[in-house]
Amino acid sequence: MEKLSDLEYLKLTKAQKFFYRLKLLITGFPSWLLGLGKALLSFLKNIILNIKNEFLDIFLTFKNGDFKTKLSYLFMGFGSIARGQILRGLLFLIFEIVFIFYMISSGTYWLNKLMTLGTKGPQEVYNEKLDQYVMTYYDNSFKILLYGILTIIFIIAFIYTWRLNIKQNKISEAIIKSGKKLKSSKDDLRSLVDDQFHKTLLALPLTGIIVFTALPILFMILIAFTNFDANHNGYSNALFTWVGTSNINQLVTWTSGSSNFSATFGEILTWTLIWAFFATFTNYFLGIFVALMINKKGIMFKKLWRTILVMTIAIPQFISLLYVSKMFSNNGIINGWLMDWGIVGLDSRIQFWENPTLARIMVILINIWIGIPYLMLIATGILLNIPADLYESAKIDGASTLQQFQKITLPYMLFITGPYLLTSFIGNINNFNVIFLLTGGGPTNQAYTTSGGSAGYTDLLITWLFKITTVDSNYKLAAVIGIAVFVVCAAISLFVYNILPSMKNEEEFQ
Amino acid sequence: MKKLLSVFLSFLMVVSLSACRPNEEGSTESETTEEETTEETSEETTAAEYSFKVWCADNVVDLTKSQLDKFATDHPEYALTFTVEAVGENDAATSMITDVEAGADIYSFAQDQLARLVQSNALAKPGVKASETINAENDASGIAAATFDKELWAYPLTSDNGYFMYYDKSVISEEHLGDLTAILEDCVAANKTFAFEGTTSAWYIASLFFGTGCVSEWNMNGTDIVSYNDTFNSEEGLIAAKGLKEIVTSPAFTSSSGADAFSANPAAAVLVSGTWAYSDVEAVLGDNLGAAELPSFTVDGNTYHMGSFSGNKLIGVKPQTDAEKAAVASQIALYLTGEECQSERFDAVAWGPSNKKAADSDAVKANPALVALAAQNEYGVPQGQYPGAWWDIGKAIGSAIFELGADSTDDDLKGVLQSYSDSLASLLTVDPEVARAWTVIGSVQGGDWSEDIEMVEDPEGTWTTADLDLKAGEEFKVRQGKSWDANLGSDGADGANFVVEEDGTYQIQLVVGDDWTAGTVELIKK
Repeated sequence: MEKLSDLEYLKLTKAQKFFYRLKLLITGFPSWLLGLGKALLSFLKNIILNIKNEFLDIFLTFKNGDFKTKLSYLFMGFGSIARGQILRGLLFLIFEIVFIFYMISSGTYWLNKLMTLGTKGPQEVYNEKLDQYVMTYYDNSFKILLYGILTIIFIIAFIYTWRLNIKQNKISEAIIKSGKKLKSSKDDLRSLVDDQFHKTLLALPLTGIIVFTALPILFMILIAFTNFDANHNGYSNALFTWVGTSNINQLVTWTSGSSNFSATFGEILTWTLIWAFFATFTNYFLGIFVALMINKKGIMFKKLWRTILVMTIAIPQFISLLYVSKMFSNNGIINGWLMDWGIVGLDSRIQFWENPTLARIMVILINIWIGIPYLMLIATGILLNIPADLYESAKIDGASTLQQFQKITLPYMLFITGPYLLTSFIGNINNFNVIFLLTGGGPTNQAYTTSGGSAGYTDLLITWLFKITTVDSNYKLAAVIGIAVFVVCAAISLFVYNILPSMKNEEEFQ
Repeated sequence: MKKLLSVFLSFLMVVSLSACRPNEEGSTESETTEEETTEETSEETTAAEYSFKVWCADNVVDLTKSQLDKFATDHPEYALTFTVEAVGENDAATSMITDVEAGADIYSFAQDQLARLVQSNALAKPGVKASETINAENDASGIAAATFDKELWAYPLTSDNGYFMYYDKSVISEEHLGDLTAILEDCVAANKTFAFEGTTSAWYIASLFFGTGCVSEWNMNGTDIVSYNDTFNSEEGLIAAKGLKEIVTSPAFTSSSGADAFSANPAAAVLVSGTWAYSDVEAVLGDNLGAAELPSFTVDGNTYHMGSFSGNKLIGVKPQTDAEKAAVASQIALYLTGEECQSERFDAVAWGPSNKKAADSDAVKANPALVALAAQNEYGVPQGQYPGAWWDIGKAIGSAIFELGADSTDDDLKGVLQSYSDSLASLLTVDPEVARAWTVIGSVQGGDWSEDIEMVEDPEGTWTTADLDLKAGEEFKVRQGKSWDANLGSDGADGANFVVEEDGTYQIQLVVGDDWTAGTVELIKK
């Protein structure tokens, strides 16, 4: 598409500008894809090249190295110890010993079993003397999968350390050749609190991230490729095993008929996105609106209003939402009052939670109630930060209040809270509390009955996932949904992150 | 140093890894404990020490504690410690299934959870002698409830897990009691609700279907659904659906089964619930409390009495790896479900006993809730085993009918039932791999036509078994997908059985033609 010059662009009307930008976005997409492909290709190329270089380096170090270096290939740390770097050498050596010991004692066991995830399930034997059926448990697929992954990570760590050990030798040789002194063990220790202090600090968080974040994610992804469910719990009834992509296929193949997994997923995903959109933007704009109202000059008892609003945050959602859920039920206090006042009759009670559309509207409305206070707090801070001279000069130029809001307040807010909007959108996709405590996903939708369990009109992917795991114990499909949720969130985040002005240029806002 | 750091990290990992080793043969942990305990019992000087985690409903925690203490004093030969935790009957099953290892040793649960628990192997079968005791002491419904796949899996705790109708005597007139339409009219006239879990629970919804004579029976083989007979999608089912429509589209309808419905606003005049709600309902209604069997509903001039599930609460014992401990657990479960404990439980919280002697007392016979339940049980269907998904699929009938509203047609209702039966059918769909595979079944290899012998497919599409020792006179057939829809006999599709003529080692081979009916089966002698 032909690109307009700045001058031509400025001549366009608002609508034309919008369409022009939209066209740019769409026509730019193929070249964006092409660029992505190219980047991936060069990335792969780099990796292959790197691996080649590594092997070459390992080979050359061995060829050119002295006997200390050569022996280090077999006994890690030998070179370091022989050259007087006892601490480094010992750590390398201990690591190697522990690795070999681990691999012999249990590592190979887990690795062997990892291919099948276990072959012998639990057995039941009748003990006549005691009149008891006694279980003997053999393989445990769950543990095999977990420790199998750990063993693989350990092997990778070992290979990495082994490579380090070789590099170490090469560097030491070079240092000795140049006539300089090697770092002593004392120097090494000192450097940990000195120039290498960042590594000391990061050691614990890094371990934490690997153990508590990376590993569970990897584990969950792998479960999507097994048949881990109520019938194969891997321990007490039957072992689970690898099933390839059959679970993922359930998600992507569109079979006819109402009770199928992919159709239900599509419907629930659509509602999840609708919900996230409204939950985010209603809160956002109403929050700003409330903050503006309270900040307006001449409003009395500002602190009182703020306190009242913040009270909603202070009460745990578990209590307030469950209570609100009761209030709006068809024999709850709201319908009771309406009946007492003669506004509705027994037959015209408002079915807040039983009517699908009304239930969806209600969850969005109640979410506004609990979401506004947060936004009000954030907005208050930002609003106070907008330079007052902007408003003064606007007033002198004769701008109306609405114009001031449009041209100064809103752009400023959007610029600063762009990243917040993104995170709260993602947060709302996974907003378990509000949905689950208010409606529990209901009302049930007959069309949402699938092999993975049933769902209701207000179910989000996350609450559906919860039901699949806890009610139906269908962990394999839950893992698939988990991955799908991740893909959706990641795609949205990447896209929005790339078009947010606040991410592009911090100086842009004027 | 980067190196130091990575070495350090790896070291940490190694320590954590080597902290847990695999059990090479079986559960080594249990073996050692078994040894220890046998030693101890042979010496007979110190009491064998066992600790049990027990889960029971919130309102009987204290009672259970004192009962367990009594058991401990009665059995000085064991040194017992108990941890009693309040875990509701439905949560207990879910928690057990989520993590059997960490679950309770002895726990109570509602009967409908039995299939799931057996499926997860969270239950140990009572021994042969214990089973005899259970069979002798409990009523038929209790035994049926604890039975799954023809075997006893649990200890009946109560015989009151059914539902009936509580009503407010000041609203519902005595002569209207048997008539659903009149009751609903009374409710509307008084601006009160009719609380019935018609959109949120298959357990209650089934009441109308059972009333018209529909059945839903499931034949489970361990973890698999073998077959089912469900007639909800039928003429009778349509009648029931109309009855359900009358309830859920009534202005008075509220989907609830909790006693708090009577104190809600608008308050309920009728609550369909079970004995567990009795004390709470009594607290609200006082002298106005009435309890009765469910009413009849009228469709097209015919009257149908609402049916119900009659069910039980059960006590389950987790499978143990230590036989001695399992024996003690079994004794405790027997004690907790025995006459003495059931009577105590009735006195304390009015749970209806499943134990025949305990149920025979005058006090039990005078409890209005239990009397109403007994009357309703005349129309009750003993609750068999249902796959977990059935409860989800079933409740959708109610919510769909509610959504259609008062002006839905018969065709709409038929659509709902059709969708229900489609969902059930999809539960049976087998893995496509299994559906395509051919197997041999027959009296060969000591089988009795119950076990399929696998065949392996080669790239040309020929299916072959492993080497089989066959005896003269043994018969077999070759079938696909472990079902009889496609099967081959000696004279082709659906033909007579193959008969082995001579003893020997054979392979059975199937060459599938363009169409399975043209397949040829051959016995290849080795």
